[in-house]
Amino acid sequence: MKSEELARRLAASARPVQRLPHPIWRAMMWFVFSLAYAGALVLVMGLRTDFSARIAEPRFVIELSAAVLTSMMAAAAAFCSTCPGRPIWERLAPFPFLLVWLASLGEGCWRDWSLHGLPGLAVQPELSCFWKIVISSAPPAILILLMVRRGAPIAPYLTTGLATLAAASLVAAAMLLFHRQESSIMVLIWQFGSVIVLSGFTAFFGRQILGWRTIDIPSLE
Amino acid sequence: MRAAQDGDNAAYAALLSEILPVLRRTVSYKWPSAPDTEDVVQEILLSVHTVRHTFDPARPFMPWLMTIATRRMIDAARRRTARSSNETTVDIMPETFSGDAAKNEQEISDDQDAIRRALAQLPDGQREAVELMKVQGLSLQEASAATGKSVASLKVSVHRALKAMRDMLKRES
Repeated sequence: MKSEELARRLAASARPVQRLPHPIWRAMMWFVFSLAYAGALVLVMGLRTDFSARIAEPRFVIELSAAVLTSMMAAAAAFCSTCPGRPIWERLAPFPFLLVWLASLGEGCWRDWSLHGLPGLAVQPELSCFWKIVISSAPPAILILLMVRRGAPIAPYLTTGLATLAAASLVAAAMLLFHRQESSIMVLIWQFGSVIVLSGFTAFFGRQILGWRTIDIPSLE
Repeated sequence: MRAAQDGDNAAYAALLSEILPVLRRTVSYKWPSAPDTEDVVQEILLSVHTVRHTFDPARPFMPWLMTIATRRMIDAARRRTARSSNETTVDIMPETFSGDAAKNEQEISDDQDAIRRALAQLPDGQREAVELMKVQGLSLQEASAATGKSVASLKVSVHRALKAMRDMLKRES
Protein backbone atom coordinates (compact mmCIF):
# COMPACT_ATOMS: atom_id res chain seq x y z
CA MET A 1 0.00 0.00 0.00
CA LYS A 2 1.29 3.46 -0.84
CA SER A 3 1.78 5.94 1.99
CA GLU A 4 -0.68 8.36 0.37
CA GLU A 5 -3.33 5.63 0.34
CA LEU A 6 -2.59 4.80 3.98
CA ALA A 7 -2.90 8.48 4.94
CA ARG A 8 -6.20 8.69 3.07
CA ARG A 9 -7.59 5.61 4.81
CA LEU A 10 -6.43 6.79 8.24
CA ALA A 11 -8.05 10.18 7.73
CA ALA A 12 -11.27 8.65 6.42
CA SER A 13 -11.64 6.25 9.35
CA ALA A 14 -10.59 8.72 12.07
CA ARG A 15 -13.07 9.30 14.88
CA PRO A 16 -13.00 12.25 17.30
CA VAL A 17 -10.63 11.59 20.19
CA GLN A 18 -10.65 12.80 23.75
CA ARG A 19 -7.51 14.86 24.36
CA LEU A 20 -5.28 13.64 27.13
CA PRO A 21 -5.51 16.01 30.12
CA HIS A 22 -2.38 17.97 31.03
CA PRO A 23 0.28 15.64 32.53
CA ILE A 24 0.44 17.64 35.75
CA TRP A 25 -3.32 17.28 36.19
CA ARG A 26 -3.07 13.53 35.61
CA ALA A 27 -0.17 13.30 38.05
CA MET A 28 -2.24 15.14 40.66
CA MET A 29 -5.16 12.75 40.12
CA TRP A 30 -2.90 9.78 40.67
CA PHE A 31 -1.21 11.38 43.65
CA VAL A 32 -4.49 12.12 45.42
CA PHE A 33 -5.65 8.50 45.03
CA SER A 34 -2.30 7.11 46.05
CA LEU A 35 -1.96 9.46 48.99
CA ALA A 36 -5.34 8.25 50.24
CA TYR A 37 -4.10 4.68 49.86
CA ALA A 38 -0.85 5.48 51.71
CA GLY A 39 -2.87 7.19 54.46
CA ALA A 40 -5.04 4.11 54.81
CA LEU A 41 -1.91 1.98 54.98
CA VAL A 42 -0.56 4.09 57.86
CA LEU A 43 -3.93 3.95 59.61
CA VAL A 44 -4.09 0.17 59.33
CA MET A 45 -0.50 -0.38 60.42
CA GLY A 46 -0.56 2.30 63.13
CA LEU A 47 1.95 5.10 63.66
CA ARG A 48 5.39 4.07 64.86
CA THR A 49 5.83 4.29 68.62
CA ASP A 50 8.53 6.97 68.44
CA PHE A 51 6.66 9.09 65.89
CA SER A 52 6.20 12.18 68.12
CA ALA A 53 9.92 12.23 68.90
CA ARG A 54 11.01 11.64 65.30
CA ILE A 55 8.72 14.25 63.74
CA ALA A 56 10.43 16.89 65.87
CA GLU A 57 13.75 16.07 64.18
CA PRO A 58 14.44 18.26 61.11
CA ARG A 59 16.35 15.42 59.43
CA PHE A 60 13.33 13.10 59.67
CA VAL A 61 11.05 15.81 58.27
CA ILE A 62 13.48 16.41 55.38
CA GLU A 63 13.69 12.67 54.72
CA LEU A 64 9.91 12.29 54.74
CA SER A 65 9.34 15.39 52.59
CA ALA A 66 12.01 14.36 50.11
CA ALA A 67 10.41 10.92 49.72
CA VAL A 68 6.94 12.43 49.17
CA LEU A 69 8.27 15.05 46.75
CA THR A 70 10.24 12.40 44.87
CA SER A 71 6.99 10.50 44.46
CA MET A 72 5.10 13.58 43.25
CA MET A 73 7.79 14.65 40.83
CA ALA A 74 8.36 11.12 39.53
CA ALA A 75 4.65 10.80 38.79
CA ALA A 76 4.63 14.16 36.99
CA ALA A 77 7.77 13.19 35.06
CA ALA A 78 6.27 9.80 34.11
CA PHE A 79 3.15 11.46 32.70
CA CYS A 80 5.20 14.15 30.92
CA SER A 81 7.39 11.47 29.35
CA THR A 82 4.35 10.03 27.54
CA CYS A 83 3.57 13.33 25.84
CA PRO A 84 5.70 13.81 22.71
CA GLY A 85 7.39 17.16 22.26
CA ARG A 86 7.63 18.12 25.91
CA PRO A 87 10.99 19.36 27.24
CA ILE A 88 13.47 16.73 28.39
CA TRP A 89 14.19 18.49 31.71
CA GLU A 90 10.71 17.55 32.95
CA ARG A 91 11.79 13.92 33.03
CA LEU A 92 14.65 14.80 35.35
CA ALA A 93 12.44 16.62 37.88
CA PRO A 94 12.37 13.88 40.56
CA PHE A 95 16.13 13.40 40.71
CA PRO A 96 17.01 16.50 42.79
CA PHE A 97 14.50 15.33 45.42
CA LEU A 98 15.83 11.81 45.20
CA LEU A 99 19.29 13.23 45.87
CA VAL A 100 17.99 15.22 48.85
CA TRP A 101 16.42 12.02 50.20
CA LEU A 102 19.70 10.16 49.68
CA ALA A 103 21.67 13.03 51.25
CA SER A 104 19.44 13.08 54.34
CA LEU A 105 19.95 9.34 54.76
CA GLY A 106 23.68 9.79 54.20
CA GLU A 107 23.75 12.49 56.85
CA GLY A 108 21.94 10.11 59.23
CA CYS A 109 24.51 7.40 58.53
CA TRP A 110 27.30 9.91 59.20
CA ARG A 111 25.69 10.91 62.48
CA ASP A 112 25.22 7.26 63.55
CA TRP A 113 28.87 6.60 62.74
CA SER A 114 30.00 9.66 64.73
CA LEU A 115 27.93 8.64 67.76
CA HIS A 116 28.39 4.87 67.81
CA GLY A 117 31.37 4.21 65.57
CA LEU A 118 31.31 1.20 63.27
CA PRO A 119 28.47 -0.57 65.16
CA GLY A 120 26.27 2.40 64.20
CA LEU A 121 26.59 1.27 60.57
CA ALA A 122 25.82 -2.39 61.26
CA VAL A 123 23.38 -3.82 58.71
CA GLN A 124 20.90 -6.47 59.76
CA PRO A 125 19.25 -8.63 57.12
CA GLU A 126 15.68 -7.38 56.82
CA LEU A 127 14.42 -8.67 53.51
CA SER A 128 10.84 -8.35 54.73
CA CYS A 129 11.22 -4.59 54.23
CA PHE A 130 11.82 -5.14 50.54
CA TRP A 131 8.79 -7.39 50.17
CA LYS A 132 6.63 -4.97 52.17
CA ILE A 133 7.55 -2.20 49.74
CA VAL A 134 6.97 -4.46 46.72
CA ILE A 135 3.53 -5.61 47.90
CA SER A 136 2.38 -2.25 49.24
CA SER A 137 3.56 -0.42 46.09
CA ALA A 138 1.60 -2.73 43.80
CA PRO A 139 -1.79 -0.90 43.87
CA PRO A 140 -0.44 2.63 43.19
CA ALA A 141 2.08 1.22 40.71
CA ILE A 142 -0.61 -0.63 38.76
CA LEU A 143 -2.79 2.48 38.77
CA ILE A 144 -0.06 4.76 37.43
CA LEU A 145 1.05 2.20 34.83
CA LEU A 146 -2.52 1.91 33.58
CA MET A 147 -2.73 5.69 33.43
CA VAL A 148 0.57 6.20 31.59
CA ARG A 149 -0.42 3.55 29.04
CA ARG A 150 -2.90 6.08 27.64
CA GLY A 151 0.03 8.23 26.52
CA ALA A 152 2.58 7.69 23.78
CA PRO A 153 5.34 5.17 24.61
CA ILE A 154 8.16 7.40 23.38
CA ALA A 155 10.45 6.53 26.32
CA PRO A 156 9.06 3.23 27.65
CA TYR A 157 11.94 2.30 29.94
CA LEU A 158 12.14 5.74 31.55
CA THR A 159 8.36 6.07 31.89
CA THR A 160 8.02 2.67 33.56
CA GLY A 161 10.96 3.36 35.88
CA LEU A 162 9.61 6.80 36.86
CA ALA A 163 6.09 5.43 37.40
CA THR A 164 7.42 2.71 39.71
CA LEU A 165 9.66 5.22 41.48
CA ALA A 166 6.58 7.36 42.15
CA ALA A 167 4.64 4.45 43.67
CA ALA A 168 7.55 2.94 45.61
CA SER A 169 8.81 6.22 47.08
CA LEU A 170 5.30 7.12 48.29
CA VAL A 171 5.04 3.74 50.02
CA ALA A 172 8.56 4.19 51.44
CA ALA A 173 7.45 7.58 52.83
CA ALA A 174 4.43 5.89 54.41
CA MET A 175 6.72 3.22 55.86
CA LEU A 176 8.74 5.94 57.57
CA LEU A 177 5.56 6.67 59.54
CA PHE A 178 4.66 3.15 60.62
CA HIS A 179 7.80 1.03 60.32
CA ARG A 180 10.47 1.66 62.92
CA GLN A 181 14.06 1.36 61.75
CA GLU A 182 16.87 1.64 64.27
CA SER A 183 19.50 3.24 62.05
CA SER A 184 19.77 5.34 58.90
CA ILE A 185 21.89 2.70 57.19
CA MET A 186 19.00 0.25 57.53
CA VAL A 187 16.60 2.77 55.98
CA LEU A 188 19.15 3.52 53.29
CA ILE A 189 19.62 -0.11 52.32
CA TRP A 190 16.23 -1.69 52.96
CA GLN A 191 13.88 1.18 52.11
CA PHE A 192 15.70 3.55 49.77
CA GLY A 193 17.55 0.61 48.23
CA SER A 194 14.33 -1.31 47.67
CA VAL A 195 12.78 1.70 45.93
CA ILE A 196 15.74 2.01 43.56
CA VAL A 197 15.97 -1.73 42.87
CA LEU A 198 12.24 -2.01 42.25
CA SER A 199 12.20 1.01 39.91
CA GLY A 200 15.20 -0.28 37.98
CA PHE A 201 13.76 -3.77 37.73
CA THR A 202 10.40 -2.57 36.44
CA ALA A 203 12.05 -0.17 34.00
CA PHE A 204 13.73 -3.20 32.46
CA PHE A 205 10.29 -4.38 31.28
CA GLY A 206 9.31 -0.96 29.90
CA ARG A 207 8.94 -2.14 26.34
CA GLN A 208 6.69 -5.03 27.38
CA ILE A 209 4.53 -2.82 29.61
CA LEU A 210 4.27 0.17 27.26
CA GLY A 211 3.99 -0.58 23.57
CA TRP A 212 2.66 1.18 20.50
CA ARG A 213 -0.93 0.33 19.72
CA THR A 214 -1.47 -1.51 16.48
CA ILE A 215 -4.12 -0.86 13.86
CA ASP A 216 -5.81 -3.43 11.71
CA ILE A 217 -5.07 -1.76 8.38
CA PRO A 218 -7.37 -3.90 6.18
CA SER A 219 -10.28 -2.92 8.41
CA LEU A 220 -9.72 0.76 7.59
CA GLU A 221 -12.38 1.97 5.17
CA MET B 1 -4.38 18.56 14.39
CA ARG B 2 -6.78 20.27 16.77
CA ALA B 3 -9.53 19.93 14.12
CA ALA B 4 -8.50 16.33 13.47
CA GLN B 5 -8.81 15.53 17.16
CA ASP B 6 -12.32 16.94 17.07
CA GLY B 7 -13.26 14.62 14.20
CA ASP B 8 -12.69 16.82 11.13
CA ASN B 9 -11.65 14.14 8.62
CA ALA B 10 -10.92 16.59 5.82
CA ALA B 11 -8.56 18.58 8.01
CA TYR B 12 -6.91 15.37 9.14
CA ALA B 13 -6.47 14.19 5.53
CA ALA B 14 -4.91 17.54 4.63
CA LEU B 15 -2.58 17.36 7.63
CA LEU B 16 -1.45 13.80 6.88
CA SER B 17 -0.80 14.56 3.23
CA GLU B 18 1.17 17.65 4.26
CA ILE B 19 3.34 15.81 6.74
CA LEU B 20 4.09 12.91 4.38
CA PRO B 21 6.85 14.70 2.41
CA VAL B 22 8.24 16.10 5.67
CA LEU B 23 8.44 12.59 7.13
CA ARG B 24 10.05 11.22 3.95
CA ARG B 25 12.70 13.95 4.07
CA THR B 26 13.30 13.41 7.78
CA VAL B 27 13.72 9.65 7.44
CA SER B 28 16.00 10.02 4.41
CA TYR B 29 18.10 12.62 6.23
CA LYS B 30 18.34 10.94 9.63
CA TRP B 31 18.57 7.37 8.37
CA PRO B 32 20.04 7.50 4.86
CA SER B 33 20.70 3.76 4.82
CA ALA B 34 17.13 2.85 5.74
CA PRO B 35 16.24 -0.32 3.78
CA ASP B 36 12.78 0.95 2.97
CA THR B 37 12.01 4.57 3.74
CA GLU B 38 8.33 4.16 2.89
CA ASP B 39 7.91 1.38 5.48
CA VAL B 40 9.35 3.63 8.19
CA VAL B 41 7.23 6.58 7.04
CA GLN B 42 4.10 4.42 7.19
CA GLU B 43 5.01 3.21 10.66
CA ILE B 44 5.34 6.84 11.78
CA LEU B 45 1.97 7.67 10.18
CA LEU B 46 0.29 4.82 12.05
CA SER B 47 1.91 5.91 15.33
CA VAL B 48 0.82 9.51 14.81
CA HIS B 49 -2.71 8.21 14.23
CA THR B 50 -2.78 6.01 17.35
CA VAL B 51 -1.45 8.71 19.71
CA ARG B 52 -3.11 11.77 18.15
CA HIS B 53 -5.01 12.26 21.43
CA THR B 54 -1.67 13.09 23.15
CA PHE B 55 -1.23 16.28 21.13
CA ASP B 56 -1.76 19.37 23.25
CA PRO B 57 -3.13 22.23 21.06
CA ALA B 58 -1.44 24.69 23.42
CA ARG B 59 1.95 23.37 22.31
CA PRO B 60 3.62 23.46 18.86
CA PHE B 61 2.90 20.61 16.46
CA MET B 62 6.31 19.98 14.87
CA PRO B 63 8.21 18.98 18.08
CA TRP B 64 5.34 16.57 18.82
CA LEU B 65 5.56 15.04 15.34
CA MET B 66 9.35 14.91 15.25
CA THR B 67 9.54 13.18 18.66
CA ILE B 68 7.27 10.42 17.38
CA ALA B 69 9.16 10.20 14.08
CA THR B 70 12.55 9.95 15.80
CA ARG B 71 11.27 7.37 18.27
CA ARG B 72 9.80 5.18 15.52
CA MET B 73 12.99 5.46 13.47
CA ILE B 74 15.01 4.28 16.47
CA ASP B 75 12.59 1.39 16.99
CA ALA B 76 12.81 0.39 13.32
CA ALA B 77 16.61 0.59 13.38
CA ARG B 78 16.75 -1.50 16.55
CA ARG B 79 14.45 -4.12 15.05
CA ARG B 80 16.57 -4.24 11.93
CA THR B 81 19.77 -4.65 13.95
CA ALA B 82 18.20 -7.42 16.03
CA ARG B 83 17.04 -9.22 12.89
CA SER B 84 20.30 -8.86 11.02
CA SER B 85 22.30 -10.17 13.99
CA ASN B 86 20.54 -13.52 13.47
CA GLU B 87 21.11 -13.57 9.71
CA THR B 88 24.20 -14.40 7.65
CA THR B 89 24.54 -13.10 4.14
CA VAL B 90 25.90 -15.71 1.73
CA ASP B 91 26.43 -15.73 -2.01
CA ILE B 92 25.72 -19.44 -2.47
CA MET B 93 23.33 -21.32 -0.25
CA PRO B 94 25.19 -24.18 1.45
CA GLU B 95 23.95 -27.73 0.73
CA THR B 96 22.02 -29.05 3.65
CA PHE B 97 21.72 -32.61 2.37
CA SER B 98 23.51 -34.88 -0.07
CA GLY B 99 21.22 -36.51 -2.56
CA ASP B 100 22.09 -39.54 -4.63
CA ALA B 101 22.75 -37.26 -7.55
CA ALA B 102 25.67 -35.79 -5.66
CA LYS B 103 27.28 -39.20 -5.27
CA ASN B 104 29.62 -40.45 -7.91
CA GLU B 105 29.55 -43.96 -9.27
CA GLN B 106 32.58 -45.00 -7.23
CA GLU B 107 30.82 -44.07 -3.97
CA ILE B 108 27.68 -45.99 -4.97
CA SER B 109 29.77 -49.03 -5.82
CA ASP B 110 31.65 -48.74 -2.50
CA ASP B 111 28.36 -48.60 -0.60
CA GLN B 112 27.02 -51.69 -2.36
CA ASP B 113 30.21 -53.65 -1.64
CA ALA B 114 30.02 -52.72 2.05
CA ILE B 115 26.37 -53.83 2.24
CA ARG B 116 27.22 -57.15 0.54
CA ARG B 117 30.04 -57.78 3.00
CA ALA B 118 27.79 -56.95 5.97
CA LEU B 119 25.06 -59.23 4.61
CA ALA B 120 27.53 -62.08 4.20
CA GLN B 121 28.50 -61.86 7.87
CA LEU B 122 24.93 -62.31 9.14
CA PRO B 123 23.73 -65.65 10.57
CA ASP B 124 21.93 -67.80 7.96
CA GLY B 125 18.39 -67.20 9.26
CA GLN B 126 18.79 -63.42 9.36
CA ARG B 127 20.54 -63.29 5.96
CA GLU B 128 17.76 -65.33 4.39
CA ALA B 129 15.07 -63.05 5.83
CA VAL B 130 16.82 -59.91 4.54
CA GLU B 131 17.45 -61.40 1.10
CA LEU B 132 13.81 -62.43 0.72
CA MET B 133 12.17 -59.26 2.09
CA LYS B 134 14.62 -56.42 1.38
CA VAL B 135 16.45 -57.66 -1.71
CA GLN B 136 13.75 -59.71 -3.49
CA GLY B 137 10.93 -57.57 -2.07
CA LEU B 138 8.64 -60.37 -0.77
CA SER B 139 5.96 -59.50 1.74
CA LEU B 140 6.01 -60.94 5.27
CA GLN B 141 3.33 -63.50 4.34
CA GLU B 142 5.17 -64.56 1.15
CA ALA B 143 8.47 -64.86 3.02
CA SER B 144 6.69 -66.87 5.73
CA ALA B 145 5.28 -69.25 3.12
CA ALA B 146 8.69 -69.57 1.43
CA THR B 147 10.69 -70.27 4.58
CA GLY B 148 8.06 -71.94 6.77
CA LYS B 149 8.84 -69.48 9.58
CA SER B 150 6.18 -67.48 11.40
CA VAL B 151 5.56 -63.80 10.52
CA ALA B 152 6.63 -62.72 14.02
CA SER B 153 9.87 -64.66 13.79
CA LEU B 154 10.66 -63.12 10.39
CA LYS B 155 10.00 -59.62 11.75
CA VAL B 156 12.44 -60.21 14.60
CA SER B 157 15.04 -61.68 12.22
CA VAL B 158 14.85 -58.69 9.86
CA HIS B 159 15.00 -56.22 12.73
CA ARG B 160 18.08 -57.89 14.23
CA ALA B 161 19.72 -58.27 10.84
CA LEU B 162 19.32 -54.59 9.96
CA LYS B 163 20.63 -53.52 13.37
CA ALA B 164 23.67 -55.80 13.00
CA MET B 165 24.35 -54.55 9.45
CA ARG B 166 24.06 -50.94 10.58
CA ASP B 167 26.63 -51.57 13.32
CA MET B 168 28.95 -53.30 10.87
CA LEU B 169 28.74 -50.46 8.36
CA LYS B 170 29.38 -47.91 11.12
CA ARG B 171 32.47 -49.81 12.25
CA GLU B 172 33.68 -50.05 8.68
CA SER B 173 33.26 -46.34 7.96
